[in-house]
Formats: sequence, C-alpha cells, structure tokens
Amino acid sequence: MNNPDNNKAFMHLSVLCALLLTMMPWSETVQLFQPHWAALLIAYWSLYAANSRVMYVAFAYGLLLDVLMGSLLGKHGMSLVALSFLVTKSAKKLRMTSFWQLLMMVLIWLFNDIIIRAAIDWISYRYTPKMTDLLPLLTAALVWPWLKYLMDRVQISIRNS
Amino acid sequence: MVMMVSDKNNQLAQPIRDALSMVALPLIKIIDWPQNVYQSAEIALSRQANLLDENKQLKEQLLDAELKVQQNFSLVAENQRLREMLSASQISPLTTSVAFVSNITQANKKQLVVIDQGSADGLYIGQAVLNLAGVIGQVDVLGRHYAHVIMVTDTSHAIPIEVLRTGMRTIAYGNGADIVLTEMPTSADIRKGDVLVTSGFGNRFPRGLKLAEVEAISVSADRTFKTAVAQPFAMLDRLTEVFLIWPNGAAVEGPLAVFENDQPGSENQLQIPADANQGSNNPANDLTTGNE
Repeated sequence: MNNPDNNKAFMHLSVLCALLLTMMPWSETVQLFQPHWAALLIAYWSLYAANSRVMYVAFAYGLLLDVLMGSLLGKHGMSLVALSFLVTKSAKKLRMTSFWQLLMMVLIWLFNDIIIRAAIDWISYRYTPKMTDLLPLLTAALVWPWLKYLMDRVQISIRNS
Repeated sequence: MVMMVSDKNNQLAQPIRDALSMVALPLIKIIDWPQNVYQSAEIALSRQANLLDENKQLKEQLLDAELKVQQNFSLVAENQRLREMLSASQISPLTTSVAFVSNITQANKKQLVVIDQGSADGLYIGQAVLNLAGVIGQVDVLGRHYAHVIMVTDTSHAIPIEVLRTGMRTIAYGNGADIVLTEMPTSADIRKGDVLVTSGFGNRFPRGLKLAEVEAISVSADRTFKTAVAQPFAMLDRLTEVFLIWPNGAAVEGPLAVFENDQPGSENQLQIPADANQGSNNPANDLTTGNE
C-alpha cells in the first residue's frame, strides 16, 4: 500500500496521455474544437492536490509541450503555472462548491489560459487572436464533468487496491 | 519570462530545448508508431499486381526524367560557356538530404510540421526545406533529433522571390492559406499564371527554386500597391518527405545578377570588377558595367 506514490505515478501518466492527445493527428475541424487537454488535467490535479508542488509539475509539462509544439520555450509553461496557481489558491473552497459552479470556474480558468497564450503570441510574433480560438472552451465544458468523474473513479480504485 | 525572452532573442535557451527534446522524442515516436505499423502492414498486404503497376509507372517516370536530363546536358554546357565568358563563379551544387515528416499535429496558430532530423544531423535554423514540387519553408525550431519546419504560408513567414517571367523581385508573405505579394507598385507587370521563384537574397534560400503560381491580382484599397495571391506548388497539407539543402559556397547568387544589367549586343562593355565575387551580399547594385 503505497498510495501517494501510486497517485503520483497516475498523475504523470494522465498528463502524458493529455500531451499525446494534443499531438495526435486529428482532422482540421476536430482540431478547432479540441480542448487543451494538458490544461484540463493540470486544473484537475491542482484542484485535487491543493498543493504548490503541482505547480512545478505544471511548469515541467508546459516546457515539454513547448518543445513538442515548437512554440516559444516557456509559453505553455507560463500559462499552465498561472492556471495551476489560480486553482491551487482557491482549491479548498472550490472542492465544496456545486457541480455547476465548479464547471463555471474551470471555464474561467481555461479562458484565462487562452488569453495568456494569445498575449504571448501577440508579443512574440504579432498574432491576431480569432474568435475560433475560443471554441475549445465549448468542448472543454462538455469534457470536464466526464474527465473529473473518470479521474475520481480511477483514484478511488487505486486507493482501494 | 526570462526564458521566453532569451529564447526569442538568441539561442541561450537552446541547451534546455535540447535536453527536453530527449524526453519529447519518445512521445513523438509513440504518436508515429501506429502510422508506421499501418504503412508496413499496407506494404505487406498490397497485392503483387498493384506493385507491378506501380513499378511500371515509376519506370515510365524514370524514363521521362532521364530524357529531360539529357536535354539539360546541352543547356548546362551552354550555361557554363556563357558563365566562363563573364568570368563569373559557378553555382556550386547543393548538398541535400531527405527527411520524413512526422504525423504530428501542431497548434493551429502556426503552420509547422515536425521532421525526423535535427541538429544531430547537421540542420541549422533558417535552413531551406523543399520537396519535389517546390519550396516548403524553413527550419524554425531545432531539437536534437527532430526539427520544426515553418511553412511558407505561415503568417510570420516571408521569403524573397522573383517573378520568373519578368525578373521583378519582391518579398512574398504567408497569409495562413496562400502566399501574398503586397509590396509591388501599381505599374508592376504581373499576370495570373506567373511563376514565382526564390531570388536568393538574404542567403537563406538558394536562387531559382520554384515556389508558387500567381492566382489573383488586385490593387490595394488606397491604390498605392498592387497585391497578388499565389498558390504554392507544394501540397503543404500532404507532406510525407522533404528535402533539406545545404548551400556549399557562399557566392551562390551574386554574379548571376549581371544578366539583368547588361545590354544585349554590347559584349565588350561587360567587364566584371575583380571583386565581384566578394560583394555577393548585395549582389545587384554594386556590379558596374564599366562604361569608361
């Protein structure tokens, strides 16, 4: 019974899966709607762990994502750390709130994440944001409840094993 | 923050990128793996008849290509003679290498593809990348064993070009889907169907690589510039293999500019100054056709 270790391994595994999902070759329409998986997972783990160590994890995976995407080194790193910080700060309160309130908060965090990345892109190469950049929020709203449920179940089963 | 600035402005962050690319490589391999399995299965299962057909087709293509090469021989010889007359330096042959494109989606804000060669294979940032149809782009971000190639149609990409028919030079920008020429005077002679080739300025792309074909021409709203939209020859969304080129020899494009300055039928006016080859960084302007 080494629960924390198992849990940690599960966290890394899930974030790696999120990176793989991001990189998978989808068709262009799917790509437009694809939620930012890594951000969703980092939000979930920050909410669950409520502990600043997740921020380091978020930074490391953000850098990895940057290297994979060929983006400016630190872009995803920074946006994920900001996300993780915001979630961690209010995690204890939010774990008590209702389903809908939590969903709204998640959407706000992800929106903030999109804004940060758009700002970095704008500074680095004059990227002009488009409305379609917000489409992932829709799918994220649909995915989040199922993701949370799935992750909770897996964690419970790990704990009970 | 510091990291982002240092990555943007110089290569300070490259060691970090190299180290992380070691971690990233397995992930890229994992994504590529199903594709590779599918391809090898396809080869194993494809019927012999298909292979025979393909073989025949390829042979015909080869024959065609060889015929063209034979025609080129005489052209090359003629070119050589002309160049000797001008005492200009040769275009040195380019070293090329083939890389395969990984099947990895990139964030849809920038048009990048990942290829399976990196700084360990001698690639450098800004290296020209093409395929058989035409120019694709240049190496943008470099890892140890893979590299990101930015497409010519990306909004942050610009490439010095020349219109093949008239020899007019300008710069072509990407607009996300096509290539646009925005910096031409309204009097510029350009038509639909004109072929754009690289002009070799800036020493990134060698001269004379096919890039795109002009599709539409319009005049800007304030009637000061003519703009043209061009379609790249290469199918940028269906890339499987690309060629990387290394220029060997710095004076690739300099002396060629002579051809635009000379007047036909006045051969003895063409006296190239001895230092023409050294001034190859700004080729067109400092070549004097001695009139004294």
